[in-house]
Amino acid sequence: MPVTAVYFDGQQARRHEVMLSLDGDVLLLQGDAVERRVSLSALKIPPPLGNTPRLILFADGARCEIADNQGFAAMLPHAAASWLSGMENSWLYAMAALLLTLVLAAVAYLWGLPYAAREVADRLPDYVLVQMDNQFFASLDQTLLKPTALAPDRRQALGERLQGMSLPPGGVRPNRIEFRGSPGLGANAFALPGGSVVVLDQLVDLADNDEEVIAVLAHEMGHVSQRHAMRQMLQASVIGLAMAWYIGDVSSLLAAAPTALLQTRYSRDLERTADAFAADMLRINGIPVSRLADMLRKLEASHRPDATKTEKAELMIDYLSTHPNTEERIKSLRGR
Amino acid sequence: MTDRQYQQFHFTGRGGEYFRIWIVNVCLSIVTLGIYSAWAKVRRNQYFYRHTLVAGASFDYHGDPKVILKGRAIAFLMFAAYSVVSQFNPAAGVAIFALIMLAMPWLLVRSLRFRLHNTSYRALRFAFHGETGQAYVNLLLWPLLSFLTLGLLWPMAQQRIARYTRDNSAYGDVSFRFEVGVGEYYRVYLMAILIVIANFAAALSVAILLADSGLMPAGVERTALIGAIAGLGMYVGIFVFVYPYVAARMQNLVWNNTSLADHRFVANVKASGLLVIMLGNLLLIVFTLGFYKPFADIRLARYRIEHLNLLAYDSLDQFVAGMQSRTSAAGEEMADMFDFDVAL
Ligand SMILES: [Zn+2]
Repeated sequence: MPVTAVYFDGQQARRHEVMLSLDGDVLLLQGDAVERRVSLSALKIPPPLGNTPRLILFADGARCEIADNQGFAAMLPHAAASWLSGMENSWLYAMAALLLTLVLAAVAYLWGLPYAAREVADRLPDYVLVQMDNQFFASLDQTLLKPTALAPDRRQALGERLQGMSLPPGGVRPNRIEFRGSPGLGANAFALPGGSVVVLDQLVDLADNDEEVIAVLAHEMGHVSQRHAMRQMLQASVIGLAMAWYIGDVSSLLAAAPTALLQTRYSRDLERTADAFAADMLRINGIPVSRLADMLRKLEASHRPDATKTEKAELMIDYLSTHPNTEERIKSLRGR
Repeated sequence: MTDRQYQQFHFTGRGGEYFRIWIVNVCLSIVTLGIYSAWAKVRRNQYFYRHTLVAGASFDYHGDPKVILKGRAIAFLMFAAYSVVSQFNPAAGVAIFALIMLAMPWLLVRSLRFRLHNTSYRALRFAFHGETGQAYVNLLLWPLLSFLTLGLLWPMAQQRIARYTRDNSAYGDVSFRFEVGVGEYYRVYLMAILIVIANFAAALSVAILLADSGLMPAGVERTALIGAIAGLGMYVGIFVFVYPYVAARMQNLVWNNTSLADHRFVANVKASGLLVIMLGNLLLIVFTLGFYKPFADIRLARYRIEHLNLLAYDSLDQFVAGMQSRTSAAGEEMADMFDFDVAL
């Protein structure tokens, strides 16, 4: 069965209409002003790609384009498909690929990414962490945070008390503990990715005694010891990059929204770990674990009225106070 | 003149067909930890090029996946280094970014060279012969000047960019020619500014009407309310009217003034058509969590390609192969990674 094709010699743009036929292992090409006989082994015949024209590539740069895909496949059955084009042509494989892609993406997101983030965070040298927090303080002090209104001796007393406490195994002291005011964020405390802890004035005001402040700081030290903030930040940047790459062609504006949704708060597990660390640390130092539970309750009460206002700040702070599972955490602390 | 004939560009790709190719290749890229993505890129380009036909022949893409993989690895390492450094030390990140911006024209020249040298039509390759020095003038200096003049010179810069890329592109041994004055560019933007002004007036009147209608919650300051509604109106208006208008007019302007030997091009993209497609694509991509992307790519490509015509003078047979030079993919992959692009 001869097949119609168009032929280009690779030297000139002239279009030759030709007929293709087979003579044993030799391809015969005949048409207006051209006639070629070429052994099949000297030709390159790329596998099909969707419904695009089939091609025959000659060693000298000439080429044939064949619109009649079926006729061509009938003439040269062994060049009809490759494993790849077979998969690309089948809805079954496409759905399997879709499913596998979703599963792999979920696995990478749920396990791969947290694992990699922990491995990287654990290996970061201290000077990088210190440097980073300096940058964070520089920008936070210009935007969200104001100088503290707390009396210097109160701050010193809190700092010294914390310094004198012993740590549970694996515990790490924060690089810096800084006191700041922030009308926008309310009563809160949070750990920065580099391992510094920021305590807001309103939190100290909210506490009935130093032990309650210490309890919250112990919880933050739990985050610091395991570099939770750093892990969270690494994960968020990888997701941000992936999103920007994936959506990039459509609009970079769009990329920002899903990233914000995915990074959000510390996971429940991380909060539980930090709570457990705090409970250990309080017990070792003879402070009742209930101090943290009391404080959680107060923090939650203080944040409820303006929950929407704090949502803006939620991207960077510890959600300690606005965490949805406060009740559950309090219960588990009471049990310790 | 009697020998001139319209040859419409055709695009024969289909959404469902491309979706299967896309998802299989995405999956393979993930399974191979990104290595296969170079092969996937070649396959994607080949799919789009081979489905683009004019005057009884299709285009083709010849990029070598191994070369692209090497370029991709270099670009990825640079980008990773940049992201990590800027995460930990924003000042150093800014410095690196400035360096990359400085290298941008150099990268773009390499990118254009790679892309065009690997594009063929009727078994003849395209080529890009632009010099790097000229690229710095046209792709960096002019945009910089337009930035310093608060955009006043932006139409001028756009004309220089288009002239530089077109005049230095060739099919076979014949160069493309781009001939249009800056005036045409300013005319498009003048019209765009008029649309912006009309849009502003409309948004403001609607805002005032709404603010006085009593439908709005009490207790909100009137000026703030008007400002917010008018601002939203402007944002929507620019996306819906101004952006498609400028995009459509620019594509037409550039193609209608491009010639290749005695052959000319005629583009008749419409702002309304572009708007419908872009808006539809955006919404569907969002609602399908991105899985509409391959269909969206096909729709946009079909619209752009099918609104382009070749006004052929006599036949296309006289073109002969031109000189080919060596190219590498690093420039293209870097430019891709940092999202630089020159529209062709
Ligand atoms: Zn916490």
